[in-house]
Order: sequence, then C-alpha cells, then structure tokens
Amino acid sequence: MGCYKKSKMNALEIQSVKKYYSNLQALAGIDLQIHEGEFFGLLGPNGAGKTTLINSIVGLVKPQSGSIQVFGHDVRTHPVEARQCVGFSPQEVNVDRFFNLRKTLEFQAGFYGYSKTFAKERAQEMLEQFKLTEKAKSPFYKLSGGMQKRLLIARALMSKPKLLILDEPSAGIDVAQRQELWEYLRGLNRDGTTIILTTHYIDEAEALCERVAIINHGRIIEMGKPKALIEKYCEESVEIGLIGPIGPILFENLPGLIIKENSISAKGPKIGKITGEILKRVFQNNNQQVLDIQVKHGSLEEVFIKLTGQPIDQTPPLSSP
Amino acid sequence: MNSLGFKTLIAREYYRFARLSRQTIAPPIITNLLYIFIFGFSLGSRIREVNGFPYIVFILPGLAAMGIITNAYANTSTSLFMARMDRSIENILASPLSAFQIVTAFVMGGVIRGVIIGWISLLISLFAVNMPLHHLLWAFLIVLLISIIFSSLGIISALWSESWDHIATFTNFFMTPFIYLGGVFYSIQMLPPFWHKVSLANPIFYLVDSLRWATLGHGDVSFVISMSVVAGMACLAFGVCLWLFKMGYKLVL
Repeated sequence: MGCYKKSKMNALEIQSVKKYYSNLQALAGIDLQIHEGEFFGLLGPNGAGKTTLINSIVGLVKPQSGSIQVFGHDVRTHPVEARQCVGFSPQEVNVDRFFNLRKTLEFQAGFYGYSKTFAKERAQEMLEQFKLTEKAKSPFYKLSGGMQKRLLIARALMSKPKLLILDEPSAGIDVAQRQELWEYLRGLNRDGTTIILTTHYIDEAEALCERVAIINHGRIIEMGKPKALIEKYCEESVEIGLIGPIGPILFENLPGLIIKENSISAKGPKIGKITGEILKRVFQNNNQQVLDIQVKHGSLEEVFIKLTGQPIDQTPPLSSP
Repeated sequence: MNSLGFKTLIAREYYRFARLSRQTIAPPIITNLLYIFIFGFSLGSRIREVNGFPYIVFILPGLAAMGIITNAYANTSTSLFMARMDRSIENILASPLSAFQIVTAFVMGGVIRGVIIGWISLLISLFAVNMPLHHLLWAFLIVLLISIIFSSLGIISALWSESWDHIATFTNFFMTPFIYLGGVFYSIQMLPPFWHKVSLANPIFYLVDSLRWATLGHGDVSFVISMSVVAGMACLAFGVCLWLFKMGYKLVL
C-alpha cells in the first residue's frame, strides 16, 4: 500500500484553515500551497501556530473550518489516503516505551502496510543512516536527547513518504550530525520527497528551504524565497576604506553614496552590484589603493525580527497546545 | 483498506503482553490452580453441592469468566492509557489506519489475552476436576464476547482516565464488586428474594451464568436471556469505543 497521488495536485493545499482552543485563536485562516518536490520552511515564534498547523495535516488536530488536502486527498474525508503519503517527525518524543528501537521502526513500516521483509530491511537501513545500530535493542528512553530525535526522523522515514513533515528536527542534535542530517534531507528532496520543516534555527531554513512562510498569531504574515525576503526587508551596506583621498568626480551617476576623505559607503538592496561599481571606478583611478571592504548582508533572521518583532531564540514559552 | 497495517497493530498488542507473560498470563492461571486446590481438595468436601454440582465444579466457570474479565480489561486499559501518557497513541493516530481498525486492533489485543486465559482456565478445570463441557461452540462464543465487552470497557476507561488512580478506581469500585456479586461463588437461587432481584440487575451475572450454562449445562436464568444480554453488551461496549475514537475523545484536539 503506497501513496496514491492525484495528478496535477499540490503536495499540500491548505485553504482558510481556522482553529480555536476555547478563546485562543491558534490558526486565523491559513492559506498555503506547497508544490510537489518543494523544500518548505515554516518559521514563527513559539505559540504562533506552527505545530497546530502541522498536527492538523496529520489528523491530530481538527480545525473548525477550512480544508487541507495532501496530494489531493482531503484529510477530513479521506484521512487514511492522506496519511499514507505523510511521514511525520513530531517536536516531542512520542515513542512506545514497550519496544526497542528496531521493533519500533519495524512496526512503523507495518502500520503503513509494508511487509515484514521490507520493514526489517528498511529498519536496518534507517538504524545505520541515523547511527543508531548499536542501540537497536534498547528502548527509546535509554537514548540521549539527540538520539531520540534521530529515532523520530528515522521512524518518519520508514514508509518512504512522499511528504515528510519535520517539526524541529535539529533540536538537541550536535553540529556535525546536523550537517549530516542536512545533507541527507537535501538528497531526499533531490529524489523527489516534498519536505516541510519547522525550525528554530533560521540558518537551517535559509540553507535548506526553497521557500519559507513566517507565521505569527496564527496567520502567515509573509512567504517567499529566503533570498527574495532578505532583499525585500533587509538593508545591506558596504563601507570601502581607502588609502589616500579620492575625488567625488569619479562617482557621478552613482546616487546615495556617502563619500568621505578616506572612505566611501553605501546602503540599499543589491549591495553587491553597487560594491562592484564603486570598486571599478576606484581602480580606474590609477594611484588609488583600497584599505578594506566591509559588507553587511541581510539575513532571514533580520527578516524574522522585523516581521514578528522578536528574535527567534528569545521567544516566549509555549502558550498553546 | 490497509489490512497489513491493521494486522501489525494487532501484532503489536499481542507482542506487548506476550513478552511479559510472567505478569500477564501466569498469575491468573496460578490463581485458578490455588482455587482448585483450596475448594477442590481442601475445603470443598465441607461445602454442600450447588445446583447438583460439587462446589469447586460450580465455581470454575465463574472463575474462568473472572479471569477473562480482569485480563481483557487490564490489557486494553493499560495499553491505551500508557499510549496516551507517553503520547505514542499520536503516532498510531497519524498512521494510515481508520478509527475502526485502531479500535478493533486494541480490542483484539484484549480479546486474545482474555481468550487465552479463559481457555487455559477451562482446560485446567476439565482435566483437574472433570468439569463437564456441554456446549463447546457456545463456550467459544461466550468467552469471545466476554473478552470483547471488557476489552472495550478497558478502552473506555483508558480514554476517560487522567491518571492511574482513575484506572484503579474503575477496577476497585465498579468491576471488582460487580464481579464478586455476580454469582461467581454462589447461585443467586440461594439468595433472599430482594438480593435475588438485585443480582438480576448486575450485568456480570449474565456473563457468568451464560458460561456456566455452556459448560455445566445449567444456568440460573434462561440461556436465551443471558446470551442476549452478553451479545447486547458486546455490541454496545464496542460501539461506544468506536464512537469515542471517531470523535477523537481526548485524543484529537
């Protein structure tokens, strides 16, 4: 039993999804389309609605209104078909205490309708991939936090899902393993797996995701390619230090430059292009030598702070389920 | 229809109690053997016959029913409540299994354990004290239905409970008194008229009486009545479980 994709359908299609927890509005009308094969990031402060949205996709939360379709299958009317396409690694550990790692993984493949033979082979593959082979006979609660997180990802991958949802996959994983995980996820994505990622590591989203959505107070407040968002919201700057004075005559037709006796500085989008133009003209002045160049680029983190009003690592504790 | 997924969940439920057989299978068997020793070989000769049967033979079907009830209930209530506490139920709910498949698989886990305990108890009774077995097929069906009833009640209890204390409350204050007052150790014909009528309002009485009819060939009430109550309870309990799962009671936010 595999994932049946309805042709010409997006991997995920969310329309006007609203969810209230008594008086708290967790999702205030989310609209989102994620294309097949995309690597998509969901960013937002704690309590913004990311986990509620993800749990709505896998059927752990029932929105009061709106619709969610996974490869064309409505999660409310055809939940089994929809979930068949999804592999889900949650934010918090939810592993059965009774079974060891190997059995946990084998059962997971079985739940998705795979044979025992496939389950055994795939479990071995995942244990090796996530460096858990030595702990294969241990129960999950004897693993370190990072190992538990790797187990959750391995379990999500047991069914070779078409849509992989990772809620904070790197939390607790050390830097070297994080890099390995990134490479593995890139490979999966290259092979056609659509990946949705929520993360507190903005650099992770910037490095991996083709598009990101920033969620705050249950709404998507901005969405786009990381580079495009940085260009849209961040002011980049350059300051070029010079040895010896330079005449302003050289920089005619380049508006907005601040020219001092020993330096030239500029601000604005596409700073790389401006820097190149300045340097070209400096070098045309034969006796001119450059002392140093300081370029300040924008970042997705800066975009996040501008849009949400708070840095991602200093956000308030969880206030909603 | 994800039949392999369904079978896997049943296998998981079976594996869960089978690997702990010293805790799950052995104790009720030992208890039954002790009852046979105490009432069969020690005190039994001092107690007069009940409905024409030696006392130990009379109580054995009830003891088998008691074993089925407590084990079927313990299996599902523990398994589902643990899964709620460690949140592993979320992983099952997010898998491509329907509510019907999940409920049935959990119930099947309890049923397998209940049937194993029930039939080991009955077989010991057959060989140790020559207990008769008049209606084999009915006995199979009744053991199955009792297991379904209490596996389903275990699921309802696990969904309702917020702590182990709640699970124990259900066991200690409802199940145990109903079992002991359900005619396991006596015939309700021996009771005064008022308590006789009260006993007829105890649903567990009909479970014990139907199994007694199937084995000894004699019950306190008509087999049609007791069988109807058993079948009705099984349908009702399973239906309630399914309804609770479908609406996501305490499972889906």
